[in-house]
Amino acid sequence: MANMCTEVADPESLAELVRQSLTDSVPLVDYGRVHEGVGHPPPSVHTRFCQTIAAGGDGIIEHYTRDLTVRVSAGATVRQVNEALRPTHQFLPLDADEDLSIGEVLMHDVYGPLRAGYGSGRDLLLGLRYIDGLGRDIHVGGRTVKNVAGYDVGRLMVGSLGELGIVYEVTLRTYAVPEEVRVVTVALTDPDTLSRNITNLLLTDASPTGLSLHGDASGWRAIFRYCNTHGGCVVQQADLERRLTELAGDTARVESVQTLTPEADETARTAERAWRRQADLLVKVVTPPALTGSVAALLREGGWRIDALPVHGCIFVGGEGNAADALRLDRTINETIDTHGPLGGRGFRVWYNRLADADLIAPFAPPQSDYALLCRIKSAMDPHNIFNPGRYLRG
Amino acid sequence: MSLAHPVINELRAIVGADGVLADRDELLVYECDGFPIARGLPTVVVFPTTTQQVVDCVLAAKRHDLPIIPRGSGTGLAGGAVAYGSGVMIVTTRMTKIESIDIANRVAVVQAGVRNLALTEALAGTGLRFSPDPSSQRAATIGGNVATNAGGINTLKHGVTTNHILGLEFVLPDGQVVRTRDHGLYDGIGPDVRGLMCGSEGTLGIVTRIWCRLAPAPKHFRTIYAVFSSLEGACKTVSDTTATGIVPTSMEIIDGSMIRVVEEAFHFGFPTDAEALLLIEIDGIDQVLDDQLQRIVAICHENGATTVKQCADETRRAELWSARKKTFGAIGRIARSYCTQDACVPRSMLPTVMREIKEIGKRFGLSIHNVFHAGDGNVHPIMLFDEDDPEDVQNTLRCSQAILEYCISVGGTITGEHGVGVEKLHLMPKMFSSDTLDAFNRIKEAFDPERRLNDGKLIPSNRVVIELFKPTAANVPGGAL
Repeated sequence: MANMCTEVADPESLAELVRQSLTDSVPLVDYGRVHEGVGHPPPSVHTRFCQTIAAGGDGIIEHYTRDLTVRVSAGATVRQVNEALRPTHQFLPLDADEDLSIGEVLMHDVYGPLRAGYGSGRDLLLGLRYIDGLGRDIHVGGRTVKNVAGYDVGRLMVGSLGELGIVYEVTLRTYAVPEEVRVVTVALTDPDTLSRNITNLLLTDASPTGLSLHGDASGWRAIFRYCNTHGGCVVQQADLERRLTELAGDTARVESVQTLTPEADETARTAERAWRRQADLLVKVVTPPALTGSVAALLREGGWRIDALPVHGCIFVGGEGNAADALRLDRTINETIDTHGPLGGRGFRVWYNRLADADLIAPFAPPQSDYALLCRIKSAMDPHNIFNPGRYLRG
Repeated sequence: MSLAHPVINELRAIVGADGVLADRDELLVYECDGFPIARGLPTVVVFPTTTQQVVDCVLAAKRHDLPIIPRGSGTGLAGGAVAYGSGVMIVTTRMTKIESIDIANRVAVVQAGVRNLALTEALAGTGLRFSPDPSSQRAATIGGNVATNAGGINTLKHGVTTNHILGLEFVLPDGQVVRTRDHGLYDGIGPDVRGLMCGSEGTLGIVTRIWCRLAPAPKHFRTIYAVFSSLEGACKTVSDTTATGIVPTSMEIIDGSMIRVVEEAFHFGFPTDAEALLLIEIDGIDQVLDDQLQRIVAICHENGATTVKQCADETRRAELWSARKKTFGAIGRIARSYCTQDACVPRSMLPTVMREIKEIGKRFGLSIHNVFHAGDGNVHPIMLFDEDDPEDVQNTLRCSQAILEYCISVGGTITGEHGVGVEKLHLMPKMFSSDTLDAFNRIKEAFDPERRLNDGKLIPSNRVVIELFKPTAANVPGGAL
């Protein structure tokens, strides 16, 4: 579907596209490059579009180098922006696949292991511009690192699945590129011990910049990342080894230690999650962080592959399968997050990759208590229901 | 006549007689917040202790078609918690339960009236903390922190309130209770209402319960103060440090006139002939802090620091930060009233901006004192005035406006952490296009279609017109209706 979209490279064209959509009463659809499977499918009649950047551009509108902030086109990819920032030794720690646009990352609240150290896009966001459902150009926030003038519509937009407006420009914090990235891979026999002790670990020098947990047929691995000076990495690695012995005993064993450049680490992180794009079935399950390991282990029993972020209680579970497998996986997850299950109602799940015929599976569960209010907000910002209608919210 | 309003007895029935204030003398305490220029008496003040009581109070106000003014401890500095001459003021300061502290998942669930410092104290010994630390943290409620998206001296590295809130419960003006991202999870489905609520100044809902993200409290610090013979040198040090990519925990500047005020009040030992004092703290892994510190000290010297001293121990460090937090208190000793501005500018612009603020002060014949979150570019020029002198009040307001307009012109904003309230309402059209203001209004109406909740704060309203500049109405926002 991606190659059938109308490419839009500038705000004026985008505003025109919205005006046309309002005139024709044909909704605009942009589910992103890798989030096609998130939410209800679009209506049969729609205009599919995607944002890109002008030919020859690098996606950066303005880089306030000394302020460590950057204004970028939402259509620019993470890779484009980071390549453009590299000569200044700064980067955007948006831990997402490099070919995703900045807009897609924010609209789907994509984050990865580095959220532990740098926060997510929500934390980096300073301001944005978007076209609203009346075709108007709206500008909220700004380029200062603190700003409470007006409603924080920018953060409201994060995770909004493109249903409230079309963001075309974003101002974000940047960070200095770390001197070194040290990647410590630890083989685990018991992921539960790690996640139950996550607070204890965060209170030490071994607190990682990034942490992910991976489970597949070969077993469980935790990948700790330290972005620091060389000296800092040495101290943190040594402390990790000591803490692992204290906290996890013989259930954890350091398997390898790599020292990478930040660019090489970016590639490594993308490779670690590459399987998710190929998976027939993929679900994000969110739990209280301390339960990440036990829930991941429970889901792994079904033979599924796991990527998890124990600091934030996020689990991706999936693999190859058919519609019956999807139903089976969905049942297991629902029983887990149910009020009578191990999570006691403290969790949710979102399907990322379902099979086309898996109509019996609701994309989101359980129902969220702010849903009715969110629908009212949608109606206020997109009164004609033209942006990704019905993906999550009733227009 | 307002004393006899029938809503008063209804509110007494909800919260008990000791939870309602309706006598004029008692109401006077609630006629303003930390922005004394705006004053107005509510019809009644009510102190609920539970979410259900808040709901019942909201419904009572609705039955009587009265406006609702939410209020925490009233430490706001922009008139965000001031009544327009009538209305039910719902004060959350008796909602003080810390309901749970979950160390394993790093979440505390608190009622909105829990004081920021009370949570900090409750977390003692856990290694965790609630990071936002506004100067008012002894009194300010966490609900108030949410309403203004409060910052503080640690926010440069550790973020403002919105970065530390996982979920919220709030009451809409029709009495509905909404919970968003509750259960203490670090993710959610769909648009982030919690983000919208942070900094909404009580105009969208009354926050009643908060899921606070707890973060590891830093254990290792290096704290220095550098003395400068020019404010510009201190500002340039901040800008240069930022440009290196080092992210200190705090970079705070106290200017020369303020140093002298603080010294006179607290005798901390700051040099009274200095023109600026720059306090810098870094935190992190003990073994790497000294390297960072040396780089920062070098930048201080490059920019003309005459002295750079490191706090030798925790006691001295605590004294230093205590002095910083007491600066506003010291001002109270030299003036009857003061007005603090809260512009935020790009950090690289600080030297130019501070120079211009001084010039603007001269133009208006005002002496401006400065103590501010320099690392965030968040300036707090303090203007002293006599609130009983209408001309002085007007002059101060005009000076404030000139400063804020200048800050907007260099890419800044009218408020970094205090909020818009009524104070900066007239500047909103200078910050935002009419389309953006209309977009804000549409959002407001999705929450509050009758515009009952703190209307006329944060975004201009066609129902409430505030003329702080109109001499007869200067002290009474409602008086200018």
